[in-house]
Order: sequence, then structure tokens, then C-alpha cells
Amino acid sequence: MESKGNEEFTPKIVGYLCNWCTYAAADLAGSSKLEIAPNLTVIRVMCSSRIDFNLVLTTFFNGADGILIGGCHPGDCHYDKGNYYTRRRYAMLKSVFETLKIDPERIQLAWISASEGNRYAEVVNNFTEKIKKLGPNPLNNNPYY
Amino acid sequence: MSMKIGVYICECGPNIAENIDIDRVIDDISNSEQYKERELIIKRYKLLCSNEGKEYLEQEIKENELTHLVVAACSPRDHDTTFINICKKTKLNPYLYKMVNIREQCAWIIPDKKKATDKAIKYIKSAINRVLHQSVLIEKQIDSNPNVLVVGGGITGLETALSLASEQRKVYLIEREAQLGGKTAHFKKLLSRQGDKSSIIEEKIAGVEENKNIEIFTESKLENAVGFLGNFEITIRNINNNQSVQERTVGAIIVATGYTLMSAKKLKQYAYSEKDNVFTALEIEDMLKKDGKILLRSGNEPKSVGLIHCVGREERGYCSRICCSYLLKIINYLREQSDKISIKDFYKDLCLPHKHDQEFFEQIKEQNVDFIRYDDIAIKRNHISYTEVGGSKKESDVDMVILAPAMIPAKGTEELSELLNIQLHETKFFQEAHQQLNPVATSIEGIYIAGGCHGPKGITESLFQAKAVSGKIETQLIPGEKIIPEVKVSEIIEDFCMGCQTCMDVCCYGAITYDPERAVCSVNEAICRGCGNCAGSCPSGAIRAKHFTADQLYEEVNEAIR
Amino acid sequence: MNSTDNVLIIGAGIAGMEASLMLAKTGKKVVLVEKLPIIGGNTIKNEESFPNLECSTCMVAPIQQDVLQNENIEVMTLSEVKKVEGEVGDYTVKINKKARYVSLTDCIGCGACYDPCPVTLTNEWEENLTKKKAIYVPCDGSLPNVPVIDPEHCLQISGKKSCNACAEACMFGAINFSEKNEQVEVKARAIIIATGFDLFDAKKITNLKYGKLDNVYTAMEFERLYASNGPTSGELILRKGDKAPDSVAIIHCIGRKELGYCSGVCCMYSFKYAHFVKDKLPDATVYNIYSDICVPDKSYQSFYEKIKKSESKFIFQSSVENIQISGNNGKLHLNLPAGKKSENSLDVDMVILSCALEPSKTSNDLSKILGVEIDNKGFFQIRNDAIGSVQTSQDGIFTIGCAEGPKDIQNSVIQAESAVGEVISLLG
Repeated sequence: MESKGNEEFTPKIVGYLCNWCTYAAADLAGSSKLEIAPNLTVIRVMCSSRIDFNLVLTTFFNGADGILIGGCHPGDCHYDKGNYYTRRRYAMLKSVFETLKIDPERIQLAWISASEGNRYAEVVNNFTEKIKKLGPNPLNNNPYY
Repeated sequence: MSMKIGVYICECGPNIAENIDIDRVIDDISNSEQYKERELIIKRYKLLCSNEGKEYLEQEIKENELTHLVVAACSPRDHDTTFINICKKTKLNPYLYKMVNIREQCAWIIPDKKKATDKAIKYIKSAINRVLHQSVLIEKQIDSNPNVLVVGGGITGLETALSLASEQRKVYLIEREAQLGGKTAHFKKLLSRQGDKSSIIEEKIAGVEENKNIEIFTESKLENAVGFLGNFEITIRNINNNQSVQERTVGAIIVATGYTLMSAKKLKQYAYSEKDNVFTALEIEDMLKKDGKILLRSGNEPKSVGLIHCVGREERGYCSRICCSYLLKIINYLREQSDKISIKDFYKDLCLPHKHDQEFFEQIKEQNVDFIRYDDIAIKRNHISYTEVGGSKKESDVDMVILAPAMIPAKGTEELSELLNIQLHETKFFQEAHQQLNPVATSIEGIYIAGGCHGPKGITESLFQAKAVSGKIETQLIPGEKIIPEVKVSEIIEDFCMGCQTCMDVCCYGAITYDPERAVCSVNEAICRGCGNCAGSCPSGAIRAKHFTADQLYEEVNEAIR
Repeated sequence: MNSTDNVLIIGAGIAGMEASLMLAKTGKKVVLVEKLPIIGGNTIKNEESFPNLECSTCMVAPIQQDVLQNENIEVMTLSEVKKVEGEVGDYTVKINKKARYVSLTDCIGCGACYDPCPVTLTNEWEENLTKKKAIYVPCDGSLPNVPVIDPEHCLQISGKKSCNACAEACMFGAINFSEKNEQVEVKARAIIIATGFDLFDAKKITNLKYGKLDNVYTAMEFERLYASNGPTSGELILRKGDKAPDSVAIIHCIGRKELGYCSGVCCMYSFKYAHFVKDKLPDATVYNIYSDICVPDKSYQSFYEKIKKSESKFIFQSSVENIQISGNNGKLHLNLPAGKKSENSLDVDMVILSCALEPSKTSNDLSKILGVEIDNKGFFQIRNDAIGSVQTSQDGIFTIGCAEGPKDIQNSVIQAESAVGEVISLLG
């Protein structure tokens, strides 16, 4: 069901980043003037644990080619244990994607701390490349959706 | 009143202006089909965070009677507060405003000007759409009760009570024993660096008893505590007279329930009975207080003493911090008693973290004491078998063995943690809110921990913690002042709630309760911290995380994936 | 500067910043004096802090930002207290404020001024491991994110040569070469000393060859080496040889005998270093050479056991003073005379010296200026260890954090909170 990768294809990627760590890392990457693929749009939330199934699936059904969730490293969550719940939901989401015959590689979870600007840039750029290879969201051309 | 939205793009000097075609942004958004029916103003300005910029923005909001505001500039982490303050000044509700980062997350990371401009347009449209779905949120103010409850009448509890009690703030002190004083009341002397302050505990007890702002409940326990910072309803029950129950209202609860010593007999390498001349350090202190001397059970003076550090350290998994120091103090007691006693001190590592500890150790070293570093050790009554570090197995018979067993949380700690819904650390002491930055708070706002119940420590550290709690309460629970809880809290839409209580399970702060009669959950807004975890977990979509609702997030995202 | 200021806090490290925020919350006005051009103290030099290895920047950056944005806190960087007169409730303090030459309100931190500057200097904040220009911020992520100009080395300010390079590059006109040092007078009702620590100078133990053999490092140098915003962006490359080490020895207790006290934190940070090395170089061999293991918090021993079990080989030495380090064909040879015969020598690529914590170098002078007693170790003295007070010998002057004695972050914050309670009681 997945279409082949396309060189002209510019993926639309949504990044749900937690305010305390990953968003700060994104800022640091910016003030270090690192080059980051423009395909990812940053949506700031207070904690990565805010991200629920509906939000991810709706984002995907409405046309996103890839979704990145960014949170604090385990143990560092500003809200005590929020990111542990994110991890569990992410595992479930992966399996839901598989059931829907959507490549689970289209969703990624990354723990990035506020001082890891370089790592943020790397993660976003690598993820963008991966989505380029995977091609457009298969639901975009599917008559059932 | 109809919606009127103002969008202001900051040039940030050359930082944004050089990398983004701001005119094209204004053009695109002004002529966009999306906003045809909307009243929208979009302008650019050189530097919005400057004094002139801030005045300009204030004027624009007033003159144009804006109802919603979007500022496209640098990171909200830099200047969100600046623009929120302008909103407050102009009476534009700060929750009808959004700041868009087109600098760190756009101009500075996308070298291609056209792509950067396209991105900026997307981000700003996203923000406009989101803001139009944002709701007015008003800060609430809750009355608070300035009184406090202190659980535990040892040195930490006494110090906390004395520091906090005043005309404006009553202190209720609960102690389960008949008398106050805790473990410190057993000590003959304090450590040498603490000077001649041995009457410290009597002074504190007297101070508390004389203080008319402190109500003492001895032989009592905390039966129930319901509420949150500023408003806890507590129930105190007398242990001897079960019918005697007292109720009080407080704004904060301090747990200072202290420690006890582990029973060495539980360890198989410590084989002895009550009839043997094997004593814990606390028993030696009691003995000294009672008899004035350290004596064998027969009433004779010991000719040889073996002191053992780190009893149970490995099994419990932590060092008790203060035992090395107090064993040196006991060696001092022995030497004051007689310089003829043969003293052998068996230790694993010397824990001397206070700046004056090592000095005292050097002094004791001069007093004819045999310090032996051991790898492993066992006792059978007063017979010690040990392996010296780097050496061979040895045996030693002494008249008296003195043990420093691990400090463990006082009995009842687990029940108290359940009662108050505060967590325990893996060592079973109470867990602090943040190991480094918030060491005397717990995950429940309004409940604090101090002293031996927080972890093994000496009197110095316990007193600092007592004072720290006092400092925190003086800044968080000010008599006469209202408490302003978090605004961006979650709320549960009852019609959609199925009462599955998933949200309760995931909430790290105990902010959600279940009503079995109506079979729905509800959020206590005074406790909620606004993380949105509950909203993330609800299978019915019944939870609205204010300012981060599903609608708002969809509006923000849709622009990106259009 | 007007005279309604209530509390003066000297030192903007973690203890000083926490105390400032708490006092500001109750409406008190705080003047926070810091000698460096940035706030954050020693904690921000760590990539991660023990015991949970939390990212220090993530931990401290929100605090730094709160301090800088708080209306009740007046931050004075590049400043030192020079004279204090008066008594509790009514102190008059004279502060020397060095010129920054860059406006804190006009500069937006774009960094356009660094490249054009023709003068390159060694960066002491980065433990001399890298260079900076005469106009600089100590590292990426510095707060306030506004550079300072070194007046001795700047060609324009020192008068050596006319140079306008940075001012020309600045779009905001934020640079002012004619700014002058100022003397500011502040009135305070109470003073809190939070001047922190400096590391023991390892050069004093000559047999360890620090400063002579390139690949012998101090703890602070290693912290900067490992830091992702440091001189090598976190890559562990040796000073000499330009490659990663295959083996590292971490020696505890450096300076303990000389100073006469245990600092209580070096064992933990030594274990942290073992973890850092294994994290970046999983195949490297790590040794912790120790005399006593000091793990005085409930959560510390488990960290020690984890490192001992799987990350480092522990070698006992009853004393570290007699360890000899010599260079041997690009490697470092250690003579370890005070332990097992089978472990009496070691060859490694890199040595890290876990140095003791001494009082800040400013303590001695400051104690005279404030008229406050210091103890026989040079730390500020509190009246007694059994009264829970952090008040010094002088009424109304308090001391917290490592200025009072070496301690971990938790205990520094506890003392900061404690001082706030005392100050609030004092001021009513």
C-alpha cells in the first residue's frame, strides 16, 4: 500500500515538542544557526504526555507524512513521570499503525534535553530523510480515506 | 464584541528581516481567503521588545480595540513574559494571545529565503487559527489557611514548629509518644563541632510547650488529611483514648517523623542475644544518661571494646551518613571514661562529609585507637571475625561490641505515605519533589518533609531542613494572601466521562478524584499542574486541557499539513 | 540605584539564585551581585549533575531566566562588593561595577560582533581549553546572552590601536567603548553570602604532574571536555595526541590531606566521570583510585554500586599523596604505593584529578569587608552547627551553599531556603 519514494516529494512533518526540554533544544539549535530541514512544523505542548491517540491519528489522517514526538529524557520530566506515559502510548501507536498497514517508521519518539541543540538538528534532519524515502502518506491517495 | 485580531511581525533588526521577506508575508496573509471574513490587522515593526516597541504595541492594541493578538518574533522562552505583560496592561486577556517563533525556528535554520518565508507564513497562519479558537482564562484566587501541621515531635519537628509559630500562624504538633524529643533526647552529648549544645533538646521542648501559638498533641496520630495547599482538613486521634478525635484546618503539612535503627539481629552475620554485651550506639547513649558510664551488663567496666561501622549498609543499599561521626564521639566517651580501654574501630569507608569532621577524626586518632578497615565482618556474641582490606582473615575477642546499624524510616512511614499520597524513595524514606532543586517538598503541593524521615542525616542537616521548610512556607503560604493556582488546568466534561479512572492512574499529582455515586472523575484545579497527561490518556476524549485543547491543537496543526 | 533595596545577595550560583527568587516572590527587593559576566555559577559548567545525571542546563536555565526577568531582582554582573558599613537592618554597601561595554538592553544576542574582532584570547571559563575573542560570552547558552569586552586586550579600549570592528558589525548600536567602571551604592537590610567554591589547585601536588604532563586533567577541565556546549562539543579528545583515550584513571581525594577535610562530593562526581567516559567510549577502561568512598545521601550508594559493577575498576590506596605520575611513551605511568602489591602500578592514556572544593578565592577579602569570621578552613563561619541558622558572626549577614562549606546541590538549596526563612523573620 505504501508508494515508492519520490525525489520531488517534500514531506509534511509535524513535531510535537515538550516545552521544557525539546523545544528549548530546538531554540538552541536555532541560535547556533544549525541548518534544519524546513519540512518539520513545531507544535509546542507543555508535556509530551499531552499527545493522545486521536491527535496523532487525526494529524496523520489529515495529511501529515511523518510525526515526531519530542520529550525530556526518562527521569528528567518536568512533570515527574509524564514522559513514561508518552513512551507507553507511543508503543501502542506503533502497533496501531501496523494494524492500519501504515509504516510505523512514520512516527518517531525522541528524548532530547535542552542542551542538545546539535542532537535536535540531527534527529529532525534524519527523520526528514527517512520520510522522504518512505514517500508520501499513503492515505493521501487512497480512495477509502 | 466581534473578534479583531492583530498580527505583529518583529524584524528583530536584521535577524528576521534579512532572512524572511516580511512584505510577502504581510501580503499573503492580508489577501488570504481564510481571513476574508475576519477583521485582521497585520503590521511589521523593527524591534518589538525595545521600550519603543512595547509602547507601540500597547498603543496598537488600544487604538484598534484588538481582541486577539499574535506576535511573530523570537522564541517565547525569551519574550513571552514581555508580551503577556503588555496584554495585562491593555486588558487583553493573555490567553487570547500567542507568540510565534520565526527566528530560532525559522529565519535562523532555513538558509533559503523563499523557503524560510513560506515557513513563516505557515507558522503565522497556524497561530492566527489557533488564537481564534483560544478561550479567555481567568486567574483564580483561593483563600488559604496559614496554619500548619507538624507530624513528629523530634528535634526537626520542634524546630519547624518554633520557626513557624506566630500570632498569624498556628502550629499543630502531633507526636505518638508520651513525651517530645525524639532520638536527640537520648544523646548524652552532641558532636564536638556542635559545641556544648547538649541541652538543645530540653530548650526546644520548653520553647514549644511555652509557645501559645503551638498546640501539642502527644500520644496521638494523624488519622486523616484531605485537601490541598492552603486548605487541608485534618483529623487527629488520641492513641490511648480512641474516642478522642480532634479536627483542624491547616494550609500545609510537614512530615518530620524521623528514623529508627535497623535491628542488626536481622542480619545473619550478627549473631547475638539481649543477654550479650552487644549494644547499638543508641543503647550506649541511654546507658550513659542513666548510669553515667559505659558498663557491661554485669555492671563492670569493659576492658576492650570493638565498634563496628556500616552494619546493614550493604543490605539496605545506602550509607547512613552520620554513624562514622557518632562512633568517633562514642570513642571519645570511652576515652573520657578511661585511657586504658583497648579500642578497636572496624570501618568500611570513613564518611566525613562535614568540613570539621576530619579534624575530629584526626584528634581521635591520637588517642590510642586501633582503626581497622574491613572487607567483611561477622560477630558471634562478643567474638569478631573479619577480613582486613588487603589482608587475611582475623579474629578478635572483646568485652563489648558497639554497633552502628543503618538508619531506617520510623515505623508507620509507609502508612503515612499512603495516607498523604506522598511517594517513597526506593530506600523507603520519603521521596523529595526534586533531588537537587526541591529537596524538602514532595509531589503534593503543601506537604513537606524534613529530617530523618527524608533520609539518614545528623542534627545539623535536620535543622537546616527544618529551617528550609519554614522558608518555603513563609514564601508560599503567606497569612492573609490568596493562593493563585495554575490557570492552564484540565477539566473533565462529565457527559463524556465513563468513570474508567484512567486519568486518575496517570496523574502524578493526585489532582483527580472519582465520585462513585455519579461515576465520573473530576479535576481539582487547585492541585492540577497543567501537564495534560490526563487529556492524553482519556479514552473518551472527555478531558479538556485548557489552552491546549484538541480543537486548538488541530487548528494549529492543520495549517502545517494542509 | 535607589535606597529601597532590601536584601543583598553576593554570588549568582544555584544557592544565590534560589534565595533571590524566593525572596522576590514575597515582594522583597533583591540585589544580586555576581563577579562574572554571566549568572549560574559552577553548576552550569556541568553537562549533567549527580545522582540522577539530569541535564544541568535544563535544570538551571529556567531558574536563570526567571532571575533575569524578575522585576524584584536587580542583577549586577561584573560586580564585586568593596565596602560595607552599618549594621543589621541598615547596611550601606559599595559595589564596584566593571564596564561591560555592551548594552544589556540594546543587545539582542545575535553574535554578529564576534567574528570581526581581531583579538583572540584564551577562554578561562572554559578552563583554558579553547579560545575566545576580546568581545565574548563564555559559552553557548550563556545568560545574560550579552557579550562583554575584555578592556585590557581590546585594541580600542586599551588604546593600543584604533579598532571599531565589533561596533560596525552591530546593527543595534549596542557597543559603547566609552562606558566606565562604576561605583554603586546600595542599601540593604540583610546580606546573604553565596560565593561558592573554587577547585583545589592540583599544581600544588607536584608528583601528580598537573600542568606538566598534558593528559593529566582537573575535574573542571573534564567537565568542560564532556559538555556538549564545551570546547570540543563533548568529544573526549586528548590534549596531546588528538585522539580519544583508551584508558582513564580518576584519582579521588586530591587535596583532602592538604586541606584537612573531605569535600563530600568528589566521590560522586568521580563516579559520574567514569560513567561519562564509558558513555562516549564504551570500549575504554576506567579506573577509580580511591581512599574512602563517601556517599552520604540515600540515593548515592546505588550510583556507586552501579559504576563499580559495570563501568569502572576500583583501586584502593590508603593515601593518594604518594601517587607518582610520569610520562612514558605517550602514556601516563602511575606508581600506586599505598595499596595492594598487585595493583601498585598502572598505565593509562588519561588521568582525571578529582580535586577538593575550596572556598572561593574572594572569601578572604570579602570576610574582611563584611567583618564576618571565617573558619580555619577559609569558609564562612556560621555560629553553631546545632542551631539550624546560617547566620554568620555578624547579625543580619548569612552564608549559604559552598561558601559555608563544601556540599552538594541539594544541601546548597536547603541552606538557601533556610536563609530565606531567617531573612523574612528578620525583616518582618
